[in-house]
Amino acid sequence: MGNCLKAHNNDDISLLRGNESSDVLEQPSGPPPPYHHEPSQRAQLYYPSPNVSRPANQLTEEEQIKIAKRLGLISHLPTGIYDGTSKKGKECAICMCDFNVGENLRILPCMHSYHKECIDDWMMRSFTCPSCMEPVDAALLTTYETS
Amino acid sequence: MTSMEKRLHKELQLLQKEPPHGVKIDVESIHRNLTEWIVDLEGAQESLYRGEKFQLLFKFGDRYPFDSPQVMFIGNNIPVHPHVYSNGHICLSILTDDWSPALSVTSVCLSIVSMLSSCTEKKRPPDNALYVKTCSKNPKKTRWFYHDDEV
Repeated sequence: MGNCLKAHNNDDISLLRGNESSDVLEQPSGPPPPYHHEPSQRAQLYYPSPNVSRPANQLTEEEQIKIAKRLGLISHLPTGIYDGTSKKGKECAICMCDFNVGENLRILPCMHSYHKECIDDWMMRSFTCPSCMEPVDAALLTTYETS
Repeated sequence: MTSMEKRLHKELQLLQKEPPHGVKIDVESIHRNLTEWIVDLEGAQESLYRGEKFQLLFKFGDRYPFDSPQVMFIGNNIPVHPHVYSNGHICLSILTDDWSPALSVTSVCLSIVSMLSSCTEKKRPPDNALYVKTCSKNPKKTRWFYHDDEV
């Protein structure tokens, strides 16, 4: 009751259990299911690795944890509103469009900035800056350790 | 227009305005079908491929630029190079594992020209015969092992 997150399958709850049930992790993990391209479900695809895409109900437990962690890390990265100053760069290298005043940007630890939607989409696949290939999570973890 | 189409139009505009040396596109054909580009490449002056002309085929999926495009050589002149198979497939890490959405048609073309330029001996990959017989039509389905960064 009271779960405001729309669960697409009953397995989502396993994300909440953490490490207390180690037996769950010992499930035999066979070969990954065959890839089905279903354009209608595109919004629900997840990318446990850059070249692997699967709908939420076909993710292994390990992959679900990885994706949940990634969502958490992304939410810690600073965002900002483009105010027309060139300090944050002028163009989003992902969509190649100029920033417009008032648009939402996300700034990575290497100081490269992108449209929030553009970079969040990419970071769900890979935690590297598209422009300089700097790993984003390494820089984040150092921030945690020093603060 | 989807974000993939917008981005491809943008790239097309830039390529028309400032085409890099040795890279040519057929704008008409791209306007007919935005998801498949044929790009004419010329071997660099100071390389073993000087004076040779090649054609690259780019195929873009609807998740471009988040997914890398399929890129391969087509036509009757496939460069003889240790990373280019005789069916046109190219073993280049930026086309799969090291892809980034900040890369573009232009940067992929320039990487390929530079890969050709650093070649010191024209020869096919050692596993060419077996690979060409057994590979998928889509080079992105190959599990490439990028073992050699020198060429």
